[in-house]
Amino acid sequence: MSRWAVLAARNLLRHGRRTFLTGSIVVVGFVAVTMTAGFVSQTFSSLKRATIRSVGGHLRILDPRAAGKTDDEAATILLDDWPALAGLLSRDTRIVQAMPKLSFFGLVVKGDKSAAYLGTGTIPALEKQASLAADTVVSGAFLSRNDADEVMLGTGLSRAIGAKAGDLVTVMTTTPDGGINAVDATVAAVLGYPIKELDDRILFMPYGAAARLLKAEGKANSVVVLLKDDRDTAREAEELPRALAAAGRPVVVKTWLDTAAFYKQVRLLYISIFFFMGLVLAVVVVLATANTMTMSVFERTREIGTLLAIGMERSSVRALFLLEGILLGVIGSGIGAVLSLLLRAALNASGIMLPPPPGATHGNVLHVDFIPLAYGAGFGVMSVTLLVAAWWPARRAARLNPVEALGHV
Amino acid sequence: MPILEARALTKTYRLGDERVVGVQGATLTLEKDAFAVIAGPSGSGKTTLLNLLGLLDTPDAGTLVFEGADVSALDERGRARLRRERLGFVFQAHQLVPVLSAEENVALALWIRRLPEHECRSRARAALLDVGLGGLEGRRPDALSGGQRQRVAVARAIVGEPALLLADEPTASLDSETAGRLLDLFARIHEERRVAFLFSSHDPRIVERADRRIHLSDGRIASDERVPAGARA
Repeated sequence: MSRWAVLAARNLLRHGRRTFLTGSIVVVGFVAVTMTAGFVSQTFSSLKRATIRSVGGHLRILDPRAAGKTDDEAATILLDDWPALAGLLSRDTRIVQAMPKLSFFGLVVKGDKSAAYLGTGTIPALEKQASLAADTVVSGAFLSRNDADEVMLGTGLSRAIGAKAGDLVTVMTTTPDGGINAVDATVAAVLGYPIKELDDRILFMPYGAAARLLKAEGKANSVVVLLKDDRDTAREAEELPRALAAAGRPVVVKTWLDTAAFYKQVRLLYISIFFFMGLVLAVVVVLATANTMTMSVFERTREIGTLLAIGMERSSVRALFLLEGILLGVIGSGIGAVLSLLLRAALNASGIMLPPPPGATHGNVLHVDFIPLAYGAGFGVMSVTLLVAAWWPARRAARLNPVEALGHV
Repeated sequence: MPILEARALTKTYRLGDERVVGVQGATLTLEKDAFAVIAGPSGSGKTTLLNLLGLLDTPDAGTLVFEGADVSALDERGRARLRRERLGFVFQAHQLVPVLSAEENVALALWIRRLPEHECRSRARAALLDVGLGGLEGRRPDALSGGQRQRVAVARAIVGEPALLLADEPTASLDSETAGRLLDLFARIHEERRVAFLFSSHDPRIVERADRRIHLSDGRIASDERVPAGARA
């Protein structure tokens, strides 16, 4: 360590209690920032998983005519021969599964009660593996076979028509060619969907039954692709259209993030809260440190006068005080990092259950992620913050008149 | 060539709405082998004149020539460089850095010259030995007596091998015996190292031992007396 760093360190220790208190603020600030970053990261991960499960996969493959269309407009455009498309997709080793989705709407009737629904035709086995619906069954059993005349209803929807698992309901809809069709189906399950607006309207039907109802065999609004690894999403979104076009099957590919407005809003909100909290912490650290350093300059006025008198450059006096500030920041951050890691380990081992994140059905065990960037940024931000806090007192020290400083009482 | 020439130095201060004369038209020449004292009652301007001559303060008027060069118009950095390299200071209170050992306090005067650490340390130890503090290098100021602290301050002043050592009331906070030993030390350093000394003091022991007695009164040089060797204490 350089001679000046040693001197700065000893000056910090000169008023141990004061340095301890100021350093504690740095430590707490560092721990708060890194723990919050870890917690927010885990929340984002949970929310991301929930969002992907709500879609049923990472990518949605649409007919090329859906390019540039809104979701509502794209919903009326059907892909032809989805099994052939799924066959092409099955060659991609990054893909777990590809399932068709048929979207439709209409009325579901039981006895003299009816309610509007938003329906999804899907392959039960694939849907069960990939989708949020599988997690939300509150009564009955998940759809059994692809050709069975069965439905699953959201709790709100089932309540609206007085249906329960095992009941027979009539599902009516408008076919793509403008006709009206209906099918009698057994309520296989009632779902407790986590979003009320959907819970009041949602209906699932096996793809085979839905295709018959819509007279759209082999067609699908989209094919939803589940990837093995989330990190492949962007690459696959870029490569798949090219690969499929080369195979004579042009498509439009959208990622789960393209339509995840809720996820984006929550993420933006959390990041805003995180930065606001960080800003408040930085202000607290700046004020506390500036106060400590100002007191230090005041108490050491004669000493500063001596240093100037024997020929120390003013810039060196300033640097000495800035060094004290940076040192406090680095040491405080170092202790904060150790405490943060210990606290993280303790919390992660505690098994505390958290409530479900927005849009999810199950809570998660508390897990604070280790974010190396947050620790690195914490060191950087704390050092810069302390540097800023020490700047004014250091400037004041450097501008002292040596004659007046030597006579300071 | 004299080490220092002051011509008509004037310094005034503002005290509220009033302007107070610190030094008025001070003219003097100091030789390289001077062992001089600026004497006078409290408030006569001794410290003000010493600060001007030591480049700690700037005059309102007049010129100051140090080692043949006009330093009146030197900027802050130039004056700091001269203080660092050619001048030594001993203050009334020792003004040591409490968190540094005796050796480090002395080395500090060389650290600010950015000299290598081993050179700073070895020269600091030699200076401490020279002032009679061998073996106390590792002690911090609070573990030293008042006289020892002042000797550390002297070591700090001489370690840079200055041409001129300025001492402002160096014995004021010392008892008579300690002050006497400190004066002996000053005299020995003056003889052995050929360093010019300029004291500011009203301590009769210093005045009696000085070869030059510059008396100030109300900021003016009232008398400037060169004392033959035989007439000194």
